[in-house]
Amino acid sequence: MSDVDPAALLAPDAIRLAEQAADKTQAIRICGQALVDCGAVEAAYVPAMLEREESVSTYIGEGVAIPHATLAGKEAVLRDALCFVRFPAGVDWDGAQVTVCIGIAAQGDGHVEILAELAQILLDPERAEALRAAESAETVLAMLTPAPEDTPEPTREGER
Amino acid sequence: MAQRTVVVASGVGLHARPAKLFTQAAAGTGLGVTIAKGDGPAVDATSILRVMALGVKHGEEVTISAEGDGADEALDGLVELLATDLDAVKPA
Repeated sequence: MSDVDPAALLAPDAIRLAEQAADKTQAIRICGQALVDCGAVEAAYVPAMLEREESVSTYIGEGVAIPHATLAGKEAVLRDALCFVRFPAGVDWDGAQVTVCIGIAAQGDGHVEILAELAQILLDPERAEALRAAESAETVLAMLTPAPEDTPEPTREGER
Repeated sequence: MAQRTVVVASGVGLHARPAKLFTQAAAGTGLGVTIAKGDGPAVDATSILRVMALGVKHGEEVTISAEGDGADEALDGLVELLATDLDAVKPA
């Protein structure tokens, strides 16, 4: 679909598999810090992520949330990046149980494909479970890398 | 079946927040609404995962369809939403 390299967006050091958070605010701070640590954003990005969450929950289903900032946070983005943070014990997210947060820092739309791939995974219960249970950064990266020759059908109910 | 084709205006495409707002609005119509990207298959427009899985970027064309009473009005509202930069507007 495009020449975006998922490995460039999702750095190995932005993949954290065993974090703990008491609540979603702390979970978002951890995601924000992961983006700061990998050099993708300035510290000012983190409060903008919390602000976004206040207005619209970034929970997307299947135990996954995708915290990201408001437009105000864009100026704090140094390069487009994602982080993958797993909370094995789960985090309460307005009543939903979140195990995986994929934090987004973006000025452009190069991450749309990787998020589309994420959604494809989550629509498949087996792959969703495999992603939540991933034990290594390599597995996470391999799962989120869109296969160029293997574009799955978004749905089987398209024809009518 | 009523149908509209519209260019997605949100700068980040139709995912994350814009996808959430769109799917909420589609669900709010109470009708069976579907969305397709280009010539692709139509998917349930009320499912954020299905909408995100389309991978619609800024400036890409989508076709939305609805059936039932008030389908035309409902689609007009959804078209307006898609033609707005949803990443920039404040939530209602």
